[in-house]
Amino acid sequence: MPSIDLIAQTAANGVLLGGIYALAALGLSLVFGIMDVVNLAHGHLLMIGGYVAIILLAMLGLSPLVGMLVAIVVLFVLGIVLERLLLDQVVDVGVEQPILVLFGVALVLQNLGQFFLGSDAQSTELGFNLPSLAFGPIQLSSSRTVTFVLAVVLVALTWLFMERTSTGHAIRATAQNRDAARYVGIDTDRIYMITMGIGSALAGAAGALLSMLFPIDPYVGWSYLLTTFAVVVLGGVGSIGGTLVGGVIIGTAENLTALFVGGSYRDVMTFAIFLVVLLVRPQGLFGTGGGGGE
Amino acid sequence: MNVDLSTFVPSSKRGLGVALVALAAMLVVPFVTTSYETGLAMTALVYLILALSWNLLAGYAGQVSLGHAAFFGLGAYVAAWVTTPGAAGFPQLPGVLAHPIVAMVLGGIGPALLALVIGPVMFRLRGHYFSIGTLALAAIIRLILTNQRSISGGSTGYYLNGGMGEVPTYLLTVVVAGIVAVATYGIVNSRLGLGMQAIHDDETAASGLGVSPLRYKMYAFVISSFFAGIAGALYALNSLYINPTSTLEVTWTVDTLVVVILGGMSTFPGPFLGTVVFMFLDNALTSIVGSLATTVEGVLIILFVIFLPTGLYGYLKRYVSQMRSDDANPPAEG
Repeated sequence: MPSIDLIAQTAANGVLLGGIYALAALGLSLVFGIMDVVNLAHGHLLMIGGYVAIILLAMLGLSPLVGMLVAIVVLFVLGIVLERLLLDQVVDVGVEQPILVLFGVALVLQNLGQFFLGSDAQSTELGFNLPSLAFGPIQLSSSRTVTFVLAVVLVALTWLFMERTSTGHAIRATAQNRDAARYVGIDTDRIYMITMGIGSALAGAAGALLSMLFPIDPYVGWSYLLTTFAVVVLGGVGSIGGTLVGGVIIGTAENLTALFVGGSYRDVMTFAIFLVVLLVRPQGLFGTGGGGGE
Repeated sequence: MNVDLSTFVPSSKRGLGVALVALAAMLVVPFVTTSYETGLAMTALVYLILALSWNLLAGYAGQVSLGHAAFFGLGAYVAAWVTTPGAAGFPQLPGVLAHPIVAMVLGGIGPALLALVIGPVMFRLRGHYFSIGTLALAAIIRLILTNQRSISGGSTGYYLNGGMGEVPTYLLTVVVAGIVAVATYGIVNSRLGLGMQAIHDDETAASGLGVSPLRYKMYAFVISSFFAGIAGALYALNSLYINPTSTLEVTWTVDTLVVVILGGMSTFPGPFLGTVVFMFLDNALTSIVGSLATTVEGVLIILFVIFLPTGLYGYLKRYVSQMRSDDANPPAEG
């Protein structure tokens, strides 16, 4: 039985990790809310974001904080390209088509990552040390605190964007009723494009942040897809607050599972939570329409 | 229904003829070719069974499972546990129960039972949610088996004894693939298959007409898992060595998707055509693009789904019917 201090420390780290999960999950939830598509390549986009930070640090010595900003831009563009080139052809055509196309995208990204970057796991470092925060027995390391704060800031910025800008309003209107949004003159094609761009950018930011905590390899995509998806299911689609709470719950549960059962069972716990939520409360803790429909 | 039956009878007769010739050809393969070529034919048959089973679930019932590898791998492990229980610490089954054919059947029943139990939970998920749910399920099963080294052999793997020998195993596989093909044909052309297609086309309308979506999804899921498990069991009985990576890896799901999508999803001949094309493609890809093979496969999935959703079969069919209508109505009508 681990000591109480260790348990508290592990749980605290899980809460901080959960902030980054929430950031990644917000991207997934946004795309699902607007386009009715669960982006199966979301974890792989996150992986690309991590590699942007890793490459910039290795080749130019740039801090992963700069890497995160670059990852946001790169992934925003990649998201738009994917939407224009591929998703635009299949969204609203049927259910299977987007699933299969995005599965294909995930395979391509994983294989290209493996080919060009190798299978070895790599990571970045924050590069400077702030004094770590101490609360009784709990020490919050600067890399964990900084990544958490940045993740929460990005979630807040996304929220502000949705609440305060006209594009944000148009996105929310499209999420509520696509046809009605068209009738009032919203260019839903443009909204799809922007949404996919933002969704990917959030995944990219999360990837860059995670690269400071955990090594990234080309195969992490599926695992992060499952984690972020579980957060979305738990928090409920379309609820930013729910996504934050969901992220924190999953992050803490994963960390405690790793402590008590073993690191390789983290995903089992995530999956178990996911199944229980679907059985007991399919709309999520705070959501209005989970469970695969509106 | 005003259908000219004469256009169907000859073509179904022809179809039967083609099927019998193909079956006979597959049966003589081990006696006229090398062991290497028989091995390729064996692989093709395993893919064929997997493709037929996935097409039933995804193509006909519209439930795009991305966890097919789990049922395949579980079937392989059940076959290993039945034929060689000692390695996992299980008691030896008495006499005939440890026979490879029994192991194969149990290899199908195990995954089918799993589908029966987990199905009602998974089908709370619809559309994309179901796909991710199955993907997660497969990841978890793989994770658990990889970690439970005592029953899976972990990364060292699991050796099976009591194989039937290369040629008998191959012949068994041909027969089983034939049975699976006939069964699938029977299913898709029966009320059962129509129910599956009805929930695929419009779940709400189907349930309004008294077709219970959950029931038909469950039929498709259980039958499909049974076939996938049989394919896995045959794979294990043939290779006599398995490990969690070789049987539960997502590659099996990917390859199955590629076979079905290339051949023609939601069509009966699609998986057959797809298997033939995939066998050539697979060899060509590894020799030409090497480690980028998965990228090409991913791109093929994307391109086919967008531009040729009914696959090569759909394309050929359109081409042939165009030729026929050109013959029937000479150029004047264009």
